[in-house]
Formats: sequence, C-alpha cells, structure tokens
Amino acid sequence: MHIPDGVLSPGVCLGTGVVAAFCLQHAFRRLDQTLATRTVPLTGMLAALVFAGQMVNFPIGLPASGHLIGAALAAILLGPLGASVALSLVLFVQMALFSDGGKFAYGANVLNMALVAPWTAWLVFQGIRSRFPNPRGTLIAGMLAAWSSVLASAACFCLQFWLSYPSGTFPLSRVWLLMAGFHSLIGVGEALITGAILSVVLLQRPDLVHAPLTAPSGNLRNLVGTGVVAALLISAFVAPFASELPDGLEKVAQETGFGSRVTPASPILLEDYSLPVPGTEADDPLWGKVATALAGLLGTTTVLVLGWLLSRGMPSGDPPAEKLHAG
Amino acid sequence: MRADFLDRYARGDTWCHRLAPRTKLWGLLVYLVVVMVTPLSHWPLLGLAACLVVTGLTLAEIPRAYVLQRLAWLLPPVLGFAFAGPLSSGLSTGWELALLIAVRSVLSFLAGLWLVNTTPFDPLLEALAAMGMPHRFVELLAFMYRYCFVVFDELVRMRTAQRARTVSHPSLWHAWRDAANLLGMLLIRSLNRAERIHGAMCSRGWTGRLPKSQS
Repeated sequence: MHIPDGVLSPGVCLGTGVVAAFCLQHAFRRLDQTLATRTVPLTGMLAALVFAGQMVNFPIGLPASGHLIGAALAAILLGPLGASVALSLVLFVQMALFSDGGKFAYGANVLNMALVAPWTAWLVFQGIRSRFPNPRGTLIAGMLAAWSSVLASAACFCLQFWLSYPSGTFPLSRVWLLMAGFHSLIGVGEALITGAILSVVLLQRPDLVHAPLTAPSGNLRNLVGTGVVAALLISAFVAPFASELPDGLEKVAQETGFGSRVTPASPILLEDYSLPVPGTEADDPLWGKVATALAGLLGTTTVLVLGWLLSRGMPSGDPPAEKLHAG
Repeated sequence: MRADFLDRYARGDTWCHRLAPRTKLWGLLVYLVVVMVTPLSHWPLLGLAACLVVTGLTLAEIPRAYVLQRLAWLLPPVLGFAFAGPLSSGLSTGWELALLIAVRSVLSFLAGLWLVNTTPFDPLLEALAAMGMPHRFVELLAFMYRYCFVVFDELVRMRTAQRARTVSHPSLWHAWRDAANLLGMLLIRSLNRAERIHGAMCSRGWTGRLPKSQS
C-alpha cells in the first residue's frame, strides 16, 4: 500500500505534501499541549510497536500471508493525534530504512495512512462505542473501524491516482472498482487481526484503550463525525451509480484550471447532483457498479459477523471501559 | 537481535559510504526530480539515470541478491498501479503510461535503496535536521529507532518461547490465535516498558525535551 515515487504526478505529490505537513504540524502542536512529558517516549514506543507488528505474519492458508497495518489499533490505543504522529514515524522509517514508499510520495502516504486512516478509524470507533460501551461493543467497533480505515485510505489513494493523470486516462469509477474489491478483502483481514489483538488487550489491560478526554461534549461531536464518515464510506460505494461524480469533478478541474493541484481534502463532499452531465450513464457497465456496491456491503457484513463471533468470549456486562469513558 | 538488522549494508566503507550525508541527500533529491519529470520520449536521460544508479549500487558493494530481493517486494504493487490504466480501459490504451510508471518507480526505488544502504540512520537524521526537518520529529524518530531494537528483541524472545510450547503444526485457527496473543502481549509489555522508562526519565530530570547536543 506504500505509494512509490513515480506513480503520482509531481503536482499531486506537492499538494498532498503541503496538506500532510500542515496536518502533522497541527498534530504535533496539539500533542505537545496535551501530554507534555509522555509524548516522546510513548509515541516512540507505539511507533516501534506498529513497525514490529507488521513483521508478524498471519497465515491465510495460501502461500501469501497477511499482516497488521495498524492505523486503527494505534488510533484506539493512542487516540487519533498520537496515532497520526506514530504512523507518520513508522512511514518515515520504512521510507528511510527500507525504501518502502517514495520520498516525494511521503506526503501522500502520510495523508492516506497516517491521517485519513486513523481519523476514520477513531470516528467510527468512538461513534459505535458511545452507543455500545461494553467490551463486546468496543471490540466490534474496533473491527469496523479497522475495516473502514483501510477502505478510506484506499479511496484517498484512488483519488490521488486519478488526479495525477490527464482526465480520461483512468476512469475514477473503474479504478475505484479495482481498489475497492481488493481492499475489501485486505480490510476484512485487518479487521480480524485488529479484533484478535484488541480482544487480548481488552481482557488483560482494558484501561489501555484510549479514553476520550472530553466526555460530555465529545459525544455529540463524535456522533456527528461518525455520521459524516459513514456517509462518506457509503457514498464511496454508491458513487459509481451516480456517474456524474467523476465527470463533474473533471469538469470543475478543467474549468478552474487547478487540474492536478487539487488536494483530496473532501473528495466525496464535492459530489453534487446539481452538476448533471448527460450522456455519461452508458459509459460504465452496470455490473461494475453493482460489484463495487457489493464489495462494500459484503465487506461490512463479513466484518460484523466475524466481530460478533470473535466477541462471544467477551463479558457483555458492566464494562471497565465505561468508567474511563465517563471520566 | 543483530545490531544492524534494520540497515544491513549502511556501515560499509566504500567511497559512497564516506560521502557526506547531506551531499548524498541533495544528490538524491536532484536525481528524483529529474526522474520524476522526464517523459518517456527523453528515454536516453532515463537510461543515463538507470546507469547511474546501477553504478552507485555497484560502487557501494551492495549485494545484487539483496537488491533483487527488495525489487521483488516492490514490483507487484507497482505493476498493479501501472496496469490499472490498460486494465480499466480494456487493454487498448495506456501502455506507455504503464511503462513510464514502472520505470520511474523502479529508478526512484533503487536510488532510495542506495541512499539508505550507504548512510546509517543517525547521520541521516542529523543531516535531515540540518536541512530543516522539525526538531520534534527528529527527536521522536531517534526514540523510535532505539525502541525498535528493544521491541524486536522482545518479539523474538516471545516467539521462541511460543514455539517451544507448541508441539505440532498448528491449525490455521490456532496460528491466528497464537499470532494475535503474541502481538497483544507484546503490546501490553511494551507499553508497560514505555511507562517504566518514562518514569525513570522523569526521575532523572526529563522535561519533555531532549537536550540539543546529541552524540
């Protein structure tokens, strides 16, 4: 999933780099304010842990094997700010020591995997957990968060890839079909691994799960955030049905001339049905749209069922996490 | 754990290793920009870049088997990205672009590989800090680099212990359970360790900032 140099265009690299640098700087400043002396040792350790965690193989019965990506797990344990910092460290070390991921694509990689992924995971996690605060709910929330974090970063990549080349080279909906199908599978794996690890942590040290610092006022905000994320995820899968989206975006990009310098800050929010482009409906075969939607539906259902099964061992009574939640 | 498992060939003693890290970083930057903006029609320039990077790798005495092994890890996703074009347009167009993406990725990747295998991590960080990377980021990276060895040591020890307790080949379900237990316990232990280290640092006058002069 690490984007190498040469895949994205220089303009997109620059744009994502600026956005990522801005967000990271903000995260660093906020982190400095919240946990003055603990920041460096704890974040450094979690980064090392995610790095080590990616080396443990989970067999899938084939010659290939899966491994943890860790965005959701980091967000659950450290909160979204800490997770963003920790994951950008991991990405940096992977780039600097293993040459995994490009130097110029670092901004894009940070944006996809260290900003979009943990924040999506965190919002989904908090949104579901605030409704079901027992360990069982926490576990299922964690797994759904892992799944959506993979999909969200894949969507982000699709958009960057599509913006990198002159319009019409890659139809966005088809690239997304390829990516969504593939990443639904990866996401289910990530959800399973995250759930399995989280169940160990919940049984042994439930206090490690990051508690929100602003309990009473945070709930509504989290709920709104979750709603937005859920809407984005759903619309990503339904978007191919409204094939005005890519063409509409393209048209906007051409008319305003900001072509490849568009940064994917709010990709799907631009989905505006007031930009109808007639005659494009027939471009995509129907099965492609159905397949994209199915990938989303199947993935979510699978994760839910797996989460349900995995959480059977969890106590569903009075949660230890509840106390932290209120405090 | 071997002290050099992260950057195996970075401590060699060739001409490439002796170059100042900052020179290498700037060189790499220029190289990457050139590779990134050269279109396929200027293929001699790309060929020159390829020769340059192969010469660099040879001069630095980085084993060819290692380079090829790393390339084998890189190629599947890159080819996936590259062929998304032809695949999504029914194999009729987009082949030049696919070739361009593949060539650019491989060249940039090899150049990056050359840099990391001729420069140890600490000098690289120093050079980056001198080039204007935020101080906080460098600090955290230095911490993370040190913790990596501790965490990997712990991981290897726990895995050895787990293997010693496992009698037969585990089923898929058990393999998953074991790996998840391993990672979960590693996580708990490491966070405990981080808390202990944090306490020890505080009792030695840690204020949240590393002193400027690092060795």
